[in-house]
Amino acid sequence: MNRVDVFKSVLWTLTGLAVATAITRFIFGLGAVSNLSDSTPWGIWKGLNVVPGIALAAGGFVVTAVIYVLKREEFHRYAKVAVLIAFLGYLSAATALVVELGLPWLVWQPVIYWQFHSALFEVSWCVMLYLGVLLLEFLPVPLEETSWFAGLRRFLTKYKLVLVFLGIMISCLHQSSLGTLFLITPEKLHPLWYSALLPIEFLVSAIAVGPLVVILGVLVICYMYRKEADRKTLSKLAYLGFIVTVIYGLIRFIDLGVNGKLPTIFDGSWQSTVFLIEIALMLVIPIVLLGIRKLRYSQAGLAIACFSAVIGLGLDRANIAGVMLQVPGSHYYPTIYEVFVSLGIVAGAIIVFLFCVEHFKIWDVKWKDPRERAEYCPKFGLASDVWLGSPGVTERVKYSLIFVLSFALGFALMPQDRIESKGVEEITVQKARGGDTLFIDGNLDAFGTLFDHARHVDNLGQKESCIRCHHMNVPLDKESGCWECHSSMYTATDIFRHDWHASPNGAAIACDVCHEPPQERQKASAKKCRDCHVDLYADSTADTLDTYLAMSYVDAMHILCVDCHRWLASADTTRAALAQCPTCHTGSQPDYLKADMRGELRRPAPNHVMMPPAVLQVKEE
Amino acid sequence: MDTWLEFARGPLFRLSFGVMMLGLLRVLLLDLYGAWEAYRRAGDKTLPWGYIIRRTLVWFFPINKVFKGRPFYSICSILFHIGLILVPVLLFAHIQLWQSGVGISWPALPKPVADWLTISTIVFALALLIGRSFSRTSSFLSRKQDYLWPLLLLLPFVTGYVCANMSVGASTYQVTMLIHILSGELIFILLPFTKIAHCILLPFSQFVSCVAWRFPADTDDAVCTTLNKKGAPV
Repeated sequence: MNRVDVFKSVLWTLTGLAVATAITRFIFGLGAVSNLSDSTPWGIWKGLNVVPGIALAAGGFVVTAVIYVLKREEFHRYAKVAVLIAFLGYLSAATALVVELGLPWLVWQPVIYWQFHSALFEVSWCVMLYLGVLLLEFLPVPLEETSWFAGLRRFLTKYKLVLVFLGIMISCLHQSSLGTLFLITPEKLHPLWYSALLPIEFLVSAIAVGPLVVILGVLVICYMYRKEADRKTLSKLAYLGFIVTVIYGLIRFIDLGVNGKLPTIFDGSWQSTVFLIEIALMLVIPIVLLGIRKLRYSQAGLAIACFSAVIGLGLDRANIAGVMLQVPGSHYYPTIYEVFVSLGIVAGAIIVFLFCVEHFKIWDVKWKDPRERAEYCPKFGLASDVWLGSPGVTERVKYSLIFVLSFALGFALMPQDRIESKGVEEITVQKARGGDTLFIDGNLDAFGTLFDHARHVDNLGQKESCIRCHHMNVPLDKESGCWECHSSMYTATDIFRHDWHASPNGAAIACDVCHEPPQERQKASAKKCRDCHVDLYADSTADTLDTYLAMSYVDAMHILCVDCHRWLASADTTRAALAQCPTCHTGSQPDYLKADMRGELRRPAPNHVMMPPAVLQVKEE
Repeated sequence: MDTWLEFARGPLFRLSFGVMMLGLLRVLLLDLYGAWEAYRRAGDKTLPWGYIIRRTLVWFFPINKVFKGRPFYSICSILFHIGLILVPVLLFAHIQLWQSGVGISWPALPKPVADWLTISTIVFALALLIGRSFSRTSSFLSRKQDYLWPLLLLLPFVTGYVCANMSVGASTYQVTMLIHILSGELIFILLPFTKIAHCILLPFSQFVSCVAWRFPADTDDAVCTTLNKKGAPV
């Protein structure tokens, strides 16, 4: 196995895992694979793929600007690589965005329905336009290989300059507007990253690192295919990146100084440490290595400087778009599946990149010429003595197999419980506590409802009234509590548990006992619960249930209480307040709970409903 | 046992189903791409489409093969394939699993039909196996996998029939069901990599072989060069 083989195998593995995750995400929803929630809707797909991806794709417009605006013809041989890297960078960012947003068939909507108040409106327009421009810019390269669409190729080559200038304009616009996006988060973004100059900083840092990404791409390709890199030209291009990096450093630190944030850098918090690492990678290492002429012209110096700058810029964007955006009350940590997609999209882009390098004239000559007639000189693989065919066939057979196997493995690794939950967190209900006065607080967040059980018993008619609420029993029980069946806070509970009834570790009942032959074994033809359990229904006249799902605790409580309260309120106008939310959901924790606990009680969970004080006073009976 | 069943129904099913679906798609695409490459290189680019379509249909519905040569074997084979394809896809219980898992469903076979098809598949699989073992021409052409495949295919059918129709105790049911699921999954995984891949390749086999048996214009010389016999008459 050579370098390219190993590298491609890893890439195909990652892509397989990502595709499996993406398919699961599109079938079962975001919650099935990601930890994204209403309080943290921005995960690593935006923080690592979209925002840094677009910044790192800036090489396309920077290099073409250098060639066509500054008239530096010596960089012309890297124009195609730069445009290709930009195109794939944008494409991978757009793909990540589609996987995250979902509903890909609605992607045309921002084009038709304009939302002027949205910062993302401008970003989405620019990304779509620039992606189109990049596609048109790059299209002549693959079209060279075929005689089809010759007219289109001639047209695109003729009006190349128009496309180049369009690309430069749109890029400048939206590299900065991506920074504008974060101007709306002054109280969330950490002060070391937040700045009124964010749009300018985004643009300048993208211009600084853009060419370095192209250089890194060229160096990696040269290493993999064992070719000599043109270090002289690359170093000249790197010097350009060096100048802009210095300018970016000045802007950033002057801005920090003017706003009095410089002392924050050394306050010892973890944020300041991350900031120092970011500055070291993005500014210090590249400036030192590229600033010294001898190091700039050495392969190692150039490679380390570019790599460090790329990682640094990625870290900077990831910090702004995710890590340092502190949303109170949310604790986001990416799942392994989110990481699969993140890496897989990048891997997919690199596979396309390698394909283009091998099959198109990205440089002056193609590196892998199919006309070498490799099929006439058979070569056995190292792993086996099976003749798989010519190199092209071998690659096809091998990588597609790797993809299929890693896809299946990824699909098998998908979290069963999350898929079944459809993204809703399962919270087991805790029983209501207290004596005659019950505190109903299913998720134990200390913000529940006080329920005067004794008073309800008295008012509704003593023993005969139990059945109004306790409508069913757990087998061999009487007046079972609500929580015994409605045992999940927000999701329905299967109270029948088919598999438990059939399992030898459970009830160990043979199929025929409930599903009488020769009918199809299904719900409709099965025995009813009360055919075996005599004591399930508190009222002998009650209808048998048509479902074995008990609704969520929240739903059950609301329907049971609210229906009765509404009915009472409508019957008696003096008791209208009964049907209002604050009657049960008081604004604070009950006094007795405070008296019974030492120390501070927990603050309510972010999703908790807090009611304003009751407007209408509940009239005492 | 519950854990094993859960594992076989969950991750292991997704693994094997993924391998089968994408694996079949893979062999199909590789096949067609190979045919396209052969076509691109071929000197003679005319293709006898009418002949290809006729041959494909003939092999797809081998009605006229039935009464020529080996009528009993042919009829067994056709009936075996009907049950083999229809029962797993159109069984009510399987569709219910799709319905509850992913939310999609399609019309099912009535239970008596499914039961009889299952029995016919089992019977004809055994008949085919016996035919293969005792016919000298067949056994001469057979490899190990040709004997193992009918047996492996029988496993889920027999266990499935037991689970669906017989009154067995809870623990017997679970063991049988586990064998049913695991054997089915083993078939899924092996499917794209063995001769059973003909389930997706068959409709294209005539086309592919028709295209593949065309050679580039200079093939004769190339063969001679490779064999170090340049200039030798072909």
